[in-house]
Amino acid sequence: MTTQAPATPLRPDTSVEVAPVGDRGARIRRYLAYFFLGAYALLMFVPFLYSVATSFKTQPDSLRVSFIPDPFTLRGWETAWTQLDPALPVMFFNSAIIAAAVTLTNVVLGSMAGYAFARLRFPGREPLFLLVLATLMIPDQLRLVPVYQLISGVGLINRNPTNYLSVVLVLAISATSIFLLRQYFLTIPRDLEEAAKIDGAGFFTTFWRVMLPLASPAIAAVAILQFQGTWNGFFWPLLFLQHRPHYTLPLALSQFRFEYTSDWPALMAVVVMTTLPILVLYLFFQRYFVEGVAAAGVKG
Amino acid sequence: MAVRVPALTTVASERRSEALAGYGFVAIPLLLFLTLNIGAMGYAVYISFWRWGLRGATEFRGLANYERLLSDEIFLIAVRNTLTYTLVWVPLTMALGLLLAVIVNQKIRGQTFFRAAFYFPAIASSVAITVLWIFLVSPEGAFNDIRAALGLNGLFEAFGFPPNHSWVSHSRTAMASVIVLNAWTTSGTVMLFYLASLQAISHEVYEAAAIDGANAWNTFWRITFPLLRPGHFFVATVLLIGGMQIFDQAYVAGGTSGDPNNALTTIVLYLYRSATKDFSFGYASAVGIVLFALIFLGTLLQRRIFGNAPSW
Repeated sequence: MTTQAPATPLRPDTSVEVAPVGDRGARIRRYLAYFFLGAYALLMFVPFLYSVATSFKTQPDSLRVSFIPDPFTLRGWETAWTQLDPALPVMFFNSAIIAAAVTLTNVVLGSMAGYAFARLRFPGREPLFLLVLATLMIPDQLRLVPVYQLISGVGLINRNPTNYLSVVLVLAISATSIFLLRQYFLTIPRDLEEAAKIDGAGFFTTFWRVMLPLASPAIAAVAILQFQGTWNGFFWPLLFLQHRPHYTLPLALSQFRFEYTSDWPALMAVVVMTTLPILVLYLFFQRYFVEGVAAAGVKG
Repeated sequence: MAVRVPALTTVASERRSEALAGYGFVAIPLLLFLTLNIGAMGYAVYISFWRWGLRGATEFRGLANYERLLSDEIFLIAVRNTLTYTLVWVPLTMALGLLLAVIVNQKIRGQTFFRAAFYFPAIASSVAITVLWIFLVSPEGAFNDIRAALGLNGLFEAFGFPPNHSWVSHSRTAMASVIVLNAWTTSGTVMLFYLASLQAISHEVYEAAAIDGANAWNTFWRITFPLLRPGHFFVATVLLIGGMQIFDQAYVAGGTSGDPNNALTTIVLYLYRSATKDFSFGYASAVGIVLFALIFLGTLLQRRIFGNAPSW
């Protein structure tokens, strides 16, 4: 009796959320929780593992449920690498160059605008910032027709490399990038800028030399968010990239699905190539992805 | 005096140069937003009043495009499909996400791992996941094989699904399979949203409940669920906006025509089809405006269901 009293405050809240240790109901509940979580986690990974396994199978073998290709073959990858139109390296290049360009423009334009909205004083700053945020409420589809007319009006729907610019231009800057960077700049103390000003630095130098390096965590978050979003992006490439050699991975995949209906190994090779770069990014920069969710919301 | 005057002008010119720098820094983004977003939206409204084809405006139609929508059978199918999708997908995904969040929020090992695992499908390409899904639920795919191996074919046959049922290309199950697919991929995102709201609930409430001897079930329904109201509101709004714009999965599974038999024709797919296949730009714009209005109405309705918007 007397020993219990001082023991209680030592372990204050384990008993709050989970019932006391040793309580059989709680233990069973915990096992159930692990079982459920484990099963659901399998549901997340197994399909991707299955696509990897299938990409190394023969066509008849791809219809058999198994994770071990029998026989193991590279034919699916070979088809994807050489036979598909456009071939895998071409789509990969298209996806990479567009995603890299959009990432770059968002980082450059977003950090400049984010800095200005956070720190520089100019008439109309707040209304203009609200205007930027308001663009988040306009669904992409609503602007399909006008944006298509504009892009085709300036001659960017064509068969030469300037075609890439169509997608890059529309995605060049997102309000999310400006918002995330502005919020970050607001948290940086003013002393550093004032020190730079006393040293005679202009606004651009202060921004470039002092503020930008300090904002690198936010820049990384924006870069990852934009790279992933553009790499996976489907709507605008579908609309603008009408020349087959310009297809990105998702765009090409959406067409192959109807053209190579039974060549699952080749299709799965493209699925793997579409997913893998993002998976690798995710493994290394998971924190930034999770942070970006709240800001970016859900796309339909 | 002689000192103050130059000082004032320095301040003024410094102000001016700061303002100029500010405008310079925001000029390109603002220009893009004004043309590609704000301007485009206004232009879409304008176009929607015209018969507008490949050669531009041909005839002023006033509200005729909108009237035509009301009697356009395919558009009404598209609205019905989109509403069905949203009304089933949003609650299903919320329930799944909440369940995951509540379980992951317990004191368990591997919390970080599970959180990361569940969010993974949300960051993968929608097209890639849909193609993978089509493969899994195809007539000879893994899903049909697994249910056969589990001896469930009798049960499925009772509901009229043969052993080699083609889930995506059959009009009865096409939309349902897209709903399941998207509930699977989005549940992790919803879990993350709910985890944030769960962590905002104070420990004291739970302590009080524990003292009162409430069991886990009652604690969840009487305390956690009602206190999550701001979370419910946020998640429901975000999902509703996303759900009404469903396009990628429908397009990849059913193509531009929303096969089979318009079962996958959603509002956005119909908009896309009207613009890119029929080149009815005016009509397509009217579809977009109606979609925007529906989304707006939906969020207002949600605000009434969940009460006033939370303070943030």
